[in-house]
Amino acid sequence: MATTPASIALPDVAAARAARPRPWYVDVWVQMVRRKPLGTVGALIVVVMLAAAVLADVIAPYGFAQTSLRERFISMNASHWLGTDQLGRDLLTRLIYGARVSLYVGFGAVALGSVLATLIGVLSAYFGGRLDLLLQRGVDAWMAFPPLLLLMSIMSLLGPSALNITLVLGAAFGIQNSRVVRAVALAIKEYTWIESTRALGSGHLRITVGHILPNVMPTIIVVATTGLSTVILTEASLSFLGLGVPPPYPTWGGMLSLAGLDHMYQAPWLAIWPAVALSLAVFGFNMLGDALRDLLDPRLKGS
Amino acid sequence: MKQYVLRRVVLAIPTLILVSIIVFAMMRLMPGDVATRMVEGHAYAPTLDALRKDLGLDRPVHVQYLEWIGNITLHGDFGRSYWTRQPIWDEFARRFPVTLELALLTILVSVVIGVAVGIVSAVRQDSAADYVGRILAIVALSVPYFGLAVLVVVLPSIYFRWTPVWTYTPLSVDPLTNLKIMLVPALVFGVTRAGPIMRIMRSALLDVLRQEYIRTAWSKGLAERTIVLRHALKNALIPVISLIGLQMPLYIGGSVIIEAIFRLPGVGLFFFEALGKLDYPVVQSVNLIIAAMVVGLNLVVDLSYAFLDPRIRYR
Repeated sequence: MATTPASIALPDVAAARAARPRPWYVDVWVQMVRRKPLGTVGALIVVVMLAAAVLADVIAPYGFAQTSLRERFISMNASHWLGTDQLGRDLLTRLIYGARVSLYVGFGAVALGSVLATLIGVLSAYFGGRLDLLLQRGVDAWMAFPPLLLLMSIMSLLGPSALNITLVLGAAFGIQNSRVVRAVALAIKEYTWIESTRALGSGHLRITVGHILPNVMPTIIVVATTGLSTVILTEASLSFLGLGVPPPYPTWGGMLSLAGLDHMYQAPWLAIWPAVALSLAVFGFNMLGDALRDLLDPRLKGS
Repeated sequence: MKQYVLRRVVLAIPTLILVSIIVFAMMRLMPGDVATRMVEGHAYAPTLDALRKDLGLDRPVHVQYLEWIGNITLHGDFGRSYWTRQPIWDEFARRFPVTLELALLTILVSVVIGVAVGIVSAVRQDSAADYVGRILAIVALSVPYFGLAVLVVVLPSIYFRWTPVWTYTPLSVDPLTNLKIMLVPALVFGVTRAGPIMRIMRSALLDVLRQEYIRTAWSKGLAERTIVLRHALKNALIPVISLIGLQMPLYIGGSVIIEAIFRLPGVGLFFFEALGKLDYPVVQSVNLIIAAMVVGLNLVVDLSYAFLDPRIRYR
């Protein structure tokens, strides 16, 4: 067999490719599929939800506020796969748009909250002393409230709106999780190489942003993904009470709502499908979050 | 021990002061205005100014705060509702037993289910029973309690003509009827809360079962039943207790929704109705009372560790 230069070079390239470590954000997903079947299912559910949210305008068969009084309370059929509600709106359409609201509020609040948690946590840990004491007593006081009561109070004063609920849930998420970030940052701060960078003349900004922040990052990602399901669930409970995203925009919590209870006796599917959608979403985010936590930050396992 | 308790109590005071400032500031700084609503919708007073003066809302905010907190600390007076003019503490005390009963029953349900399933899961690790238990835990974690509550209210009434009892009977009047009323809400809420307990029970027991004193117990020839229930369980319960303590606020918060769905006249419903009417004193005082309870409960939970685990000493 004639050996061409190309066929000699080929194994070398493959070996080099195999030897080069995958970046961690790719490796996590490879490990996920290999070792975490439930996490993979969770990731798939999240991807389907994301697709529904992004493509809602394309895939939803009707408009989310499109009423048709002649078609009220229709049960499942060919034109309305999941039936219609008291105003003749298509349930499937509303579920698809509901995914958009849930994710919009969920991701928005978690993004905002993660920034806030990082800010409070890292500042509190890095500077310590009086600032730490002050910030932590504030966090203590906030945590003394049952979260739902506090959020209900704030939302009923601010008035229900998608922006308000995102801001409020974000603030709550940030304050609550600043504890975790603080604990991790405290540990990192004590490492000798942080001391060395200080000896090399790095200022506060360089140490916190350049050195502590990248090392807190995996924890923040874990906190954010495990927190998503809680935030989505809290949004749903507030919308359920009429304190979340106001109608006519559909939310899963709002569709289950207290106010609509009377209609559900006529059309039980109005209760069943939003509950199923919400459970699936919470399941998906929970499993994805758990798997990511195990893979990214074994220290937090079981928390 | 005495000193530890004392220090914890003293440390709780600044927290509670901050809590009171947060609730008070929240009610005053945010946009909703109770006076406008009372005059415009319900004609409680001829003019806005008259009503504000009547309710004391025309005075500087710090005076209002000091008056509210002063009355609470000096006279134990939590103020009166703006709308009904009834003392808040009386209403709270009348409704509290309902919420407490619901919370205790819920905890009972979730602990019984969670601990039982957790034990079976841990003792028979990787068996079919373990997998069923773990799947149950995941399902319980995923299904939102208010969704389940709505389904339990709606579906049986359609398919089995069964409905929850809507008229509330206090425990003191007719215990049996009362239990019948409370059982369904407590089951619904408890089942969904059992998920985390199952998980933590399983992992804690697995951990304990691998320790050396358990091996000693085996080699003494003790029965499995004795080893698990007498020797392992007590230590494995510590994280379960601390989880329940940590989740207390969730039980209280959730009871608002459960009470609203099942129409139980508890503190949660009182709070929810007051929110709808922007009844400042009620919202403030109920928030404060409950926050104080949470702080107190956390202390009790911390102290209970010493009872469960003699290795823990407080200094």
